[in-house]
Amino acid sequence: MMKTGAHKSGGANLWVLLGLAVLLLAAMAGSCLLGAVDFKASEIWQSSIFWQLRLPRVLLSVLVGAVLSVCGAAYQSIFRNPLTDPYVLGVSSGASLGAAVAILLGLEAWLWGVGGLALVAALLTVLFIYRIASIGNRMHTTTLLLTGVCLTLLISALISFLMVLNQEKMDSIIFWTMGSFGSASWSDVMVVAPVAVAGIAVVLWYSRDLNLLLAGSEAAQSMGVEVEKVKRTLLLFTTLMVAFAVSTCGVIGFVGLIVPHAVRLVAGPDNRRVVPYSMLCGALFVLVCDTLARTLLRPSELPVGSLTALVGAPVFIYLLYKNKKSY
Amino acid sequence: MIELQHIGVSYGERVILRDIDARVAAGRITAVMGPNGCGKTTLLRCIGGLMEPTAGSVTLDGQSVRSYSSKALAQKVAFVRQHAQTDFEFSAFETVLMGRNPYQRRLQNESQEDWDIVERCMRQTGTWELRLAKPHQMSGGELQRVMIARALAQETPVLLMDEPVSNLDIAHQIEIMRLLRAATDKTVLIVLHDLNLALRFCDEVMLLHDGNLLYHGSIADGLTSERIATVYGVDSHRTDGQVVLEY
Repeated sequence: MMKTGAHKSGGANLWVLLGLAVLLLAAMAGSCLLGAVDFKASEIWQSSIFWQLRLPRVLLSVLVGAVLSVCGAAYQSIFRNPLTDPYVLGVSSGASLGAAVAILLGLEAWLWGVGGLALVAALLTVLFIYRIASIGNRMHTTTLLLTGVCLTLLISALISFLMVLNQEKMDSIIFWTMGSFGSASWSDVMVVAPVAVAGIAVVLWYSRDLNLLLAGSEAAQSMGVEVEKVKRTLLLFTTLMVAFAVSTCGVIGFVGLIVPHAVRLVAGPDNRRVVPYSMLCGALFVLVCDTLARTLLRPSELPVGSLTALVGAPVFIYLLYKNKKSY
Repeated sequence: MIELQHIGVSYGERVILRDIDARVAAGRITAVMGPNGCGKTTLLRCIGGLMEPTAGSVTLDGQSVRSYSSKALAQKVAFVRQHAQTDFEFSAFETVLMGRNPYQRRLQNESQEDWDIVERCMRQTGTWELRLAKPHQMSGGELQRVMIARALAQETPVLLMDEPVSNLDIAHQIEIMRLLRAATDKTVLIVLHDLNLALRFCDEVMLLHDGNLLYHGSIADGLTSERIATVYGVDSHRTDGQVVLEY
């Protein structure tokens, strides 16, 4: 009987992790072969398209998918709110504003012109929100959420203004905010990878504390969680991860909200499973969406941000429907 | 050993607790009583290290509770809150298992010992049959017993309980109080409203009135008609050792 009582407790299952990892690697290999030009596996090593375009693009989409899903899982636990996504603290709107300004200033030709400004603006936005929501050395999470939502709306209004006043650049701004891996390069991968690896490691390290935070701050504290320290550390690393990700590829929605929920529906609410499974599933999901984005209507590209919703929403609704029967 | 040294708590102009000075008897059950809003929860939160009093300090085994690390304190003091909070769909079993957190290292899974302790605590509180139930499938009283099981699973010498039985039917109220009675090595501070339940199962009482500690000592001597009238404004008399309210 013991086993039935605990069949869904404990840490991640190694076989599930291994299976997902193998699946991800296979998808990465497949994705490298597909594109505007199809390769045979034998000639791929000589191709500069493979080395300079596809491989960095595949790696970046995997990194960004992992980052967004892990941060979504973390935020949903920290804020104890199932509707939070990685952009709720204003990272995406800040980045969009930064990118819009950079595009208007004509910085697109510069390496990291748009991405750099997007990164700085994203971090400034979140910093501003933290300042507002900190009372003494405590972080007030409801205020944090509300300020984030409010500032997001304010900044979208600003971006609309900028676009109306500069209609000739409207297309590039809209295209940037819809998210794309079209310009992925090795320098993007090199910048995002260390932040992603460090940040995801931190979230994994605190994954049991995330479970306890769901019981409420005071309950978590009386069960031995250093609540303020854990929240602060997690918010710092998740913010950095999301800001770096967004600055390289724009705003890719849906992933960070839905992937953790889909994982929870299948694997239960324990964050020691939700975080690592979300990391792998999110990476796989964004990789598949981006591969579809660049192959469905080749040689032209679809915005990956709309494909994530197009592919993900039906899958998620199916999971919800299937789960309904178990109540 | 818990010592309260001239504890005071105020929020701006509003004074919640005034100069509370007391030593809590180790290994005994102390009822914390008084009308709504008299500072009972605030007192427990100070003792549990969840808040810093505006004045004075609380020491546990000679050391200020605020100086303990979270984990060290969670191995000494468990807290059952008035309102059980649960979000997301953790089963009752997983919820009680969280009580083992202070003993676990990071990235380490629960041991067989943890599981055995959880099973024992769930059986003691009559929640073992509910182990697969999700929060929305449980009644308020069932959820409260799960929370008590979680606090027991922390295996602490000190147990702070804020109205732990107020959602329970009389049979489960008695069952939980008997369970506390049987745990003779635990120091229990429990907020209760039922005078006779407190008289029957507690050794000591701390009577709070307008933020002052009106009485602290043996409960049998403490709950006099005069004090009940002062604290609650309700007339009463004793019959066969029971408090009978006059209304």
